[in-house]
Amino acid sequence: MPDTECKISDADRLVLSAVMDLIVPPVDDLPGAGEMGLAGNAEELAGRIADYGEALHRVLEALSLDPSARAEGGFVALEEDQRIAALTALESSMPKYFDKFVDLIYIVYYSDERVHRHIGWRSGPLQPLGWELPPFDPSILETVSRREPFWRKA
Amino acid sequence: MSTTITHPPTDILVLGSGASGAAVAWRLSNRGFNIVCLEQGRWIKPEEYPNEHADWEIQARTNWAFDPNVRGLDEDYPINVDESPIDPLMFNAVGGSTIHWTAHTPRFHPSDFRVKTLDGVADDWPLTYDELEPFYDTYDELMGCSGINGDPANPPRKERPMPPLPIGPDGERIAKAFDRLGWHWWPSDSYVNSVPYKGRKACNNCGNTGLGCSLGAKGQTDVAIWPEAIKNGVELRTNSRVFRVDTDENGRATGASYYDAEGNENFQPAKAVVLAMNGIGTPRIMLNSASEVYPDGLCNSSGLLGKNLMFHTYAMVSGLFQDDLKTYKGALANMILCQEFYETDQSKAFVRGYTYQVARSSGPISTACGHMFGRVPWGAEHHAQFARRFSDVTVVGVIGEDLPEEHNRVELDPDLTDSNGIPAPKVYYELSTNSRKQLDDAIENAEKVLHEAGAAQILATPFLKVAGWHLMGTARMGDDPKASVVDRWGQAHDADNVFIVDGSVFVTCAAVNPTPTIGALALRTADYIDRERSDLKS
Ligand SMILES: Cc1cc2nc3c(=O)[nH]c(=O)nc-3n(C[C@H](O)[C@H](O)[C@H](O)COP(=O)(O)OP(=O)(O)OC[C@H]3O[C@@H](n4cnc5c(N)ncnc54)[C@H](O)[C@@H]3O)c2cc1C
Repeated sequence: MPDTECKISDADRLVLSAVMDLIVPPVDDLPGAGEMGLAGNAEELAGRIADYGEALHRVLEALSLDPSARAEGGFVALEEDQRIAALTALESSMPKYFDKFVDLIYIVYYSDERVHRHIGWRSGPLQPLGWELPPFDPSILETVSRREPFWRKA
Repeated sequence: MSTTITHPPTDILVLGSGASGAAVAWRLSNRGFNIVCLEQGRWIKPEEYPNEHADWEIQARTNWAFDPNVRGLDEDYPINVDESPIDPLMFNAVGGSTIHWTAHTPRFHPSDFRVKTLDGVADDWPLTYDELEPFYDTYDELMGCSGINGDPANPPRKERPMPPLPIGPDGERIAKAFDRLGWHWWPSDSYVNSVPYKGRKACNNCGNTGLGCSLGAKGQTDVAIWPEAIKNGVELRTNSRVFRVDTDENGRATGASYYDAEGNENFQPAKAVVLAMNGIGTPRIMLNSASEVYPDGLCNSSGLLGKNLMFHTYAMVSGLFQDDLKTYKGALANMILCQEFYETDQSKAFVRGYTYQVARSSGPISTACGHMFGRVPWGAEHHAQFARRFSDVTVVGVIGEDLPEEHNRVELDPDLTDSNGIPAPKVYYELSTNSRKQLDDAIENAEKVLHEAGAAQILATPFLKVAGWHLMGTARMGDDPKASVVDRWGQAHDADNVFIVDGSVFVTCAAVNPTPTIGALALRTADYIDRERSDLKS
């Protein structure tokens, strides 16, 4: 079980990684979020931001207490459908923490340059490049400009 | 025992350096007044803005979050929102919330100043659109307004200093849908440079207008107003957190007390005090300035200080398209607006109306976490759903006119404090039935336009919680001292040298973003001080 500072044990790190693979599974040539090695990034962000830390802590704690996981020797030993069932149960029993936890996983996953390449997003800061857009073309106003003024006189 | 550091007196002491404080300081410094401005935050350097960093989307949710309760910086103050379904949003630095704002800048309509007369609700303002118009024009020029004349939903006005921002292929798609329905639309007015303006660069469409603009293309008062005000001689004192406006035995202000960065208590004497700490910060400090003369808070003989808080009620209807238009390109919330449903329609079950502000999508983290279209599901469906939502979403945002109600209010929290130990505000707010009906109607019509535009899927968020962008009404203006805190010039009824210039003075909030109106009112108050109050100039 993680301690209160959100440092997690090696065993919990394995659980986290397995959970991350289910939250964001493999796609095309990309492995799942856990197999991509992003558990450490999640841990790091959770250590910096209290809300994410609490969510991570609660989810891992709840999984460690899950009866099916205990009986079978831990979450990682469960079959995939059992793991999914365990997460789905958490999602409905503790939605606030689970949602925050999912956000945490999405944040680290969609911060990764490999993922950016896959989805066609330019990595890095928004500036100084910005984006190109054609300048405003007033011809688009043709229809609406024909309308009589209709603001209410007061 | 700590001693108070007392500074040499000044003519005008401005509290807060945001949209309103900067405007008043600039105008009065042009007219020969000595001015000190106290600001609890600091200068932000362009390279600090998230858009300069690869982790900008993470910063937007943490140390640069819109919500001060999430950000939790030392210069922020916490806000108790246990009794409010809407979270107030603001930024505390030189430039105030204009650092964070998206700079969508429509004006009030003439009818907005006369809602009691026209629709029998709330109150009329003690001034008219015509009186405010020249100040709108000046504020537009100061901050830099992009836009175009000819809008049939608004009165004719002076040419904007710059042409509109690009509306992009996504803007054109939805504009044509409005045309087909025969509904109004118009390119948004924005305090974002479409071309280089007064030494500041043009916007390069990076998208995230709300996170501070390192190009200087967005009208933030730290770049658009303060440099000139400081050249005029204004002393802008940062890291200076005001905890009390001090008064004499007659109830006139003598100056303000504040903590500096080291936690020392300071006193800045002044001939007049101008409060510009926004619709929550100003009532907070006024309530904290209770004294023998003012047992219920500074200049609160009406009992209305902190009451009639208005936010604007927001809903969001998102359309998911399949044209891959890369809708993250372009200023986030500065595309087009629609004011077809702005005025009271007798056939409907609610009064007053709403504006649609059409907005774009954002980066991959926002997409996944559901900023625009609900959180993408986890698990087997994740990638397919993400792919559908990323890069082609258009959002029709609803801004509903929120009517003033006394029970919606700001009080001092008995326990919560900021990092200096100053009591924090607690916000009480209930969504009215009128607002709910307005939002429901707006959602229905927004769905129509998104259908018309060809959206493959539409998702309505019926009420936005993290949407307290606009803070208004908590020290309203009026001619009757029993029914208002300040008069038509922003001068407190109870003390002739206390002025309020932020959104607190709003009587009603219209159905548009408030800041051009806040700026115009601030300039008008400054003109009044210059014209009528030579006693305040040394
Ligand atoms: C994310 C976001 C997006 C927005 N988008 C738009 C938009 O598109 N269009 C629009 O019209 N409006 C928008 N707004 C609202 C707009 O920013 C505000 O209406 C405007 O900035 C209010 O100006 P102000 O001067 O009243 O207060 P602010 O700009 O909030 O400035 C108040 C200043 O007072 C300082 N202060 C407060 N308390 C103290 C104290 N005790 N001592 C010393 N200093 C103090 C604060 O640090 C701050 O700098 C947005 C706001 C946010 C947060």
